[in-house]
Amino acid sequence: MSLARRLIAAGFSDLDKGERFLAARELEGLDQDALFAGLQLAANPDTALQSLVRLIEKHPELRKLAVADPESSEPLYRVLGASEALGEFLIRHPEHLDAFEVRISPEPLAADAVTLRARLLQSVRADPKSARPVAALSGQEAYAALRTAYRRGLVELAIKDLCAADPLDFMPAAGAELADLAGAALEAALAVSRAEAAEKFDAAEVADVGLAVIGMGKCGARELNYISDVDVIYVIDSGALEDTLATTIGTVLASGISRAIMSTSREPGLWEVDANLRPEGKSGPLVRTLASHESYYARWAESWEFQALLKARTIAGDPELGARYEAAVTPLIWSSAGREGFVESVRAMRRRVTEHIPAEEEQRQIKLGRGGLRDVEFTVQLLQLVHGKSDESLRCRDTTSAIAALSAGGYIGRSDAAEFDRDYRYLRLLEHRIQLFQLRRTHLMPANEASLRSLAKAVLGPFSAERPKPDALVAAWRQTKRSVRELHERIFYRPLLNSVATLSSEEARLTPEAAQGRLAALGYLDPRGAMRHIEALTAGVSRRAALQRQLLPILLDWLADGVDPDAGLLAFRRVSEALGTTHWYLGMLRDSTAAAERLCHVLANSRLIADLLEVSPESVAWLGTDKELVPLSFKSQWLEITSKMSRHADPESAMRLIRLIRRREILRVAIADSEGLLDQDQVGAALADTDRAAVLGALRVAETIVTAEEPLKTHVLVVAMGRQGGREIGYGSDADVMYVHRGLPGVPEEEAQAQALQIVGKLSSLLTQPLKPAILAERVLAVDADLRPEGKSGPMVRTLESYAEYYRRWSLVWEAQALLRARPMAGDDDLAEDFVALIDTVRYPESLSDQDVREVRRVKARVEAERLPRGADPARHLKLGRGGLSDVEWLAQLLQLQHAGTHPELRTTSTVEALEAAAALDLIDAADTVVLLRAWRLASRIRSANVIWTGRSSDLLPSSRRDLEAVARWCGYGQGNAAALEEDYLRLSRRARAVFERVFYGQ
Amino acid sequence: MDRQQEFVLRTIEERDVRFVRLWFTDVVGSLKSVALAPAEVEGAFEEGLGFDGSSIEGLARVFESDMLAQPDPATFQILPWRGETEATSRMFCDILTPDGEPSAADPRNVLKRTLAKAADMGFTCYTHPEIEFYLLKSQQPGPDGSPIPVDEGGYFDHVPGGVAQDFRRTAVTMLESVGISVEFSHHEAGPGQNEIDLRYADALQTADNIMTFRTVIKEVALQQGTYATFMPKPFTAHPGSGMHTHFSLFEGDTNAFYEAGAEFQLSETARQFIAGILKHAPEFTAVTNQFVNSYKRLWGGGEAPSYLSWGHNNRSALVRVPLYKPGKGQSARIEYRGIDSAANPYLAYAVLLGAGLKGIEEGYQLPAAAEDDIWSLSSAERRAMGHDPLPASLHDAIRTMEDSELMPQILGEQVFEHFLRNKRAEWQDYRLQVTPYELQRNLGIL
Repeated sequence: MSLARRLIAAGFSDLDKGERFLAARELEGLDQDALFAGLQLAANPDTALQSLVRLIEKHPELRKLAVADPESSEPLYRVLGASEALGEFLIRHPEHLDAFEVRISPEPLAADAVTLRARLLQSVRADPKSARPVAALSGQEAYAALRTAYRRGLVELAIKDLCAADPLDFMPAAGAELADLAGAALEAALAVSRAEAAEKFDAAEVADVGLAVIGMGKCGARELNYISDVDVIYVIDSGALEDTLATTIGTVLASGISRAIMSTSREPGLWEVDANLRPEGKSGPLVRTLASHESYYARWAESWEFQALLKARTIAGDPELGARYEAAVTPLIWSSAGREGFVESVRAMRRRVTEHIPAEEEQRQIKLGRGGLRDVEFTVQLLQLVHGKSDESLRCRDTTSAIAALSAGGYIGRSDAAEFDRDYRYLRLLEHRIQLFQLRRTHLMPANEASLRSLAKAVLGPFSAERPKPDALVAAWRQTKRSVRELHERIFYRPLLNSVATLSSEEARLTPEAAQGRLAALGYLDPRGAMRHIEALTAGVSRRAALQRQLLPILLDWLADGVDPDAGLLAFRRVSEALGTTHWYLGMLRDSTAAAERLCHVLANSRLIADLLEVSPESVAWLGTDKELVPLSFKSQWLEITSKMSRHADPESAMRLIRLIRRREILRVAIADSEGLLDQDQVGAALADTDRAAVLGALRVAETIVTAEEPLKTHVLVVAMGRQGGREIGYGSDADVMYVHRGLPGVPEEEAQAQALQIVGKLSSLLTQPLKPAILAERVLAVDADLRPEGKSGPMVRTLESYAEYYRRWSLVWEAQALLRARPMAGDDDLAEDFVALIDTVRYPESLSDQDVREVRRVKARVEAERLPRGADPARHLKLGRGGLSDVEWLAQLLQLQHAGTHPELRTTSTVEALEAAAALDLIDAADTVVLLRAWRLASRIRSANVIWTGRSSDLLPSSRRDLEAVARWCGYGQGNAAALEEDYLRLSRRARAVFERVFYGQ
Repeated sequence: MDRQQEFVLRTIEERDVRFVRLWFTDVVGSLKSVALAPAEVEGAFEEGLGFDGSSIEGLARVFESDMLAQPDPATFQILPWRGETEATSRMFCDILTPDGEPSAADPRNVLKRTLAKAADMGFTCYTHPEIEFYLLKSQQPGPDGSPIPVDEGGYFDHVPGGVAQDFRRTAVTMLESVGISVEFSHHEAGPGQNEIDLRYADALQTADNIMTFRTVIKEVALQQGTYATFMPKPFTAHPGSGMHTHFSLFEGDTNAFYEAGAEFQLSETARQFIAGILKHAPEFTAVTNQFVNSYKRLWGGGEAPSYLSWGHNNRSALVRVPLYKPGKGQSARIEYRGIDSAANPYLAYAVLLGAGLKGIEEGYQLPAAAEDDIWSLSSAERRAMGHDPLPASLHDAIRTMEDSELMPQILGEQVFEHFLRNKRAEWQDYRLQVTPYELQRNLGIL
């Protein structure tokens, strides 16, 4: 076999370099077969070979071990191949090569903490038997001795870790030994620090100060990484000294510890000693007496600080003092779940799991993000905090024990726990191996293929028959992440169900109290009610109940993400009861995750949709596919109406069907809107189409009713005005209209007029009058003809000629302005054409006189002063307030009145189109247009969101945080951004107002 | 902070404090005080104290009058003028909405936000104000309609047996006893006019100190049977009362304004900071000079700076770079001379710092320093040299501020809106007045 092929087979990446190093003088005369037998054990043979050559150069005796029988050389090759950094260490300290003279064990045990402590203390010549050991070494000499001894310990651990038959099995032991080794290092550092402090203070006084180092985080939990900050808190005991003096000495001792561990020196520092989790964080004193700690935690600590204490453990210093500290804080941890702010801090914790991952890292993060290590840790800790209060068996620190305890206590299912545990260990193993290589603190998967290859090899146990492959590794990792993500929901919610309905005997089962505690922690305000709903949903032997038992865990999680989980769950129960055993419903929930998630989303965030879905549950089916959520065009709605009318000649039932179609279509638009499938402009247009179909339907029914008694004498046309005319309406808007009619040839004018009046009267009442049985949750379409000529005192309906006459004689500029948004909506097409031709002459004048311009401005100013409801804050009124809808629309209309006569591009009923056309014609600055349209769209959006969230219309930017939060989410903001929406709206509307004042009032 | 809460509770216990006041400031800078029983203090730390904000200028949103006042224990002080037995104490507090979020309308929060922004950029801000005020015989004007000063002294005059002398001694002692260090105090140019300089402190603490300072000064004056006023310009004939403030930014413990060897030893950061202030000064003048009367000071001659300019030790410039003392790199600073003694210190410091930080962020270029006495230049000369005027009246200032994009950013949309609304109303009120000047000048001849 050629050398190159041999190298490839052994797993080398850089063949040239490999050949060169193999030919090095240091390896001369060594048996190449034996060398290769060793090198192929190395996770990264390239690195192993280079380190080996450099080591032999320093320490030629190693030649013997390099080609010894594989049993003896295995540790050497595995360590050199798995850690470049430890190779470097050995090159610096070849005297520690004797570490490799061990008999490896496939089932290694972690080193004993007492032994490690003694070894590290001896390295700085301190007496391990002394109660408060003091080092005989100090300064640089002591630091180097301590650090070298620590790294020697790392080498020994790495040998065990890398040679263990099952690295996943050994993982917790490795974490524990790393924590103990770190604790031993801190112990030795304290001994050095005591020696150094004795030079500054009276030695007897220093000896009098007791100091305990409390490990927090991973070190406290004995699940430390190969390299990581070690989080600590210092507690002192003043002994016979005054507290102030003791605190001074204690602070010096604590800073001495950091110095010994991490100050720059010949032998590099070990890791960061991080004391920022202490009371008051960075600004608090470095050390405190136990009493001071106690009073801080009793009074001031915040929710998360108690959660952090879950991991607290004495790792160095006075064991007795440490024990007193632990005894003092333990009860606080377990009562924290009952504290105020717990739910919010849990949510914040959860957001931290998923937020703030730089995009370029997202694909490689092992620790952060959904399905990362922190996700597992968060889940486990939350369950511990919620249930540990009443169940002491859960009070353990490290994640693997906690999972086991949760499973044993029945808080999570046994198989779920096993899977969760395996996933956690696998992720940690990846992290360990990645960090070990350069002893750098990283939580990212390597990016290049060569590193991935050696990582793949490093995570396999020595007896694995699998071939290490980079893509298989990545696939396995992704699979694990996915599994963690899914387990997350099962673990939180599945046992909740079991407390009300037994799923299977081997599953976890919670007591009602535990279940309610858990629901409260996840954001349900009324856990008792929620339990009742869950019980109702899962009780019984029906197929639906069985399926819901399967699905509810994840549904509950989605609901909990909403602003109002309790209402969401109730609505879900109602929908589910209404749909009963409908086959597609169950199938959809089972098969379409997206549909189920949408359902939860809309139910927990929208009163409007929840109410509508309750009365028309069949619409839930739309959630399954985006195709169903495309708003129906006017044409297809009209087609449906005509075909229904032909089958139901009876006017009452025909009208009922028309109104049901409208209710259904509004729901469709709302759901599509909620899923972000429509923008604000499309929502307005779709809703306007729906209203149009309904009005046309009502017109036809009205005609049918009237002509039952007399022949048809006239054609009526309904013209939409205002926002309805511009197709810019929101949910639940009224329809502003005007009516035109044209008598049939030969019919006397009075008779035609009388019939027209009858028809429009009927039309309006058909749309609004209560029906029997009632149409539930309908938002009736109120038709309002107040914008007609002469307002309330004018006739409801006029002939074309009457309009023409009126406009010729009386026309006022505000009427021309109102006509700008007139759009024939329903009725005779010829009449519509003639009417438009008539009003075009009114609304698009050749030019607008200065007097008329002044008049428009004056009316607007008066409207501003008079129409705003008493006491309303103009800054928060979306319609009439500062920079609100009306400002933007009036501005657009003024431009149209002034210029549409000469620029046909401006002839549109839509505010958006009018402004865009005006900008294209340079009638208004393009930047101004952007400001106006953004403000206008946001205001429209908030108005819609108000209706969607509360089911009621409101023209105000909400004031309460909860409403604001809900509305913010409907406006596309992420969770927790209520204040941002408020600030944005106030800013946009202020700018819009400035533009408006400048352009409209000409200032 | 938590040790501080503990300290507060302990002091209340030990010194037998019977009355606790929570102090906060409305949008125009008037001090407001809510009384609290000592037993309620602990609860107020944890949850805040509910009060009806609807009557406080600029605090309440229309539909939401319930606000929470949460005391800041670091500001706890016994009020010395209330006597030693049955002591009264005060703390400044932050205003929160009912859901516990900082109220967007709380001026103290506005300054905190600006300081947080500075901290994000790596800066700590220190300020040191020189506060001028007049000591009058009484609040009532004399027979000729103008106030009567307590003495006729001038700049640095030692008025023998003077009221002012005694007054300053008592006031300074009392200030020190509430933890406000006084750098310097002397008689100013006008009769009865005094200046007291506070030691530099971080901007939030300085603003708190100024609020306390005004109260202490007024209390001591009352005690002594006189009246102290911070009105920007109480006399037509005498100089107004300014509140020149020195600003410096620190990065860790180095002064970011200092650069050895640069022109005036000013670092690039300092130059950009000044440029930011100069560029935005017209926009924030309504805040730093917030009353109709403020403009009488600004345009009343004397030493008041009315034009955009900066200079090295130039007493006519709006921004002055004080004379550098060798070896005192840490004391490098700039002085803004536009603020008057009646400004809301929280908002005034927020806008100044905000403008300066904007200059740093955007890397504004600083124009050349003014070397001449700007008052002696002709207006054409000033225009040629780019020394644009500050707004000439409250009305001008409001108009300029309305067009600003930076001000709402710094103040927040809500404070911005409330502030302007309040100021427009003031201007409106003022315009309605027929003044003694008009009567005196016109009544006889028309």
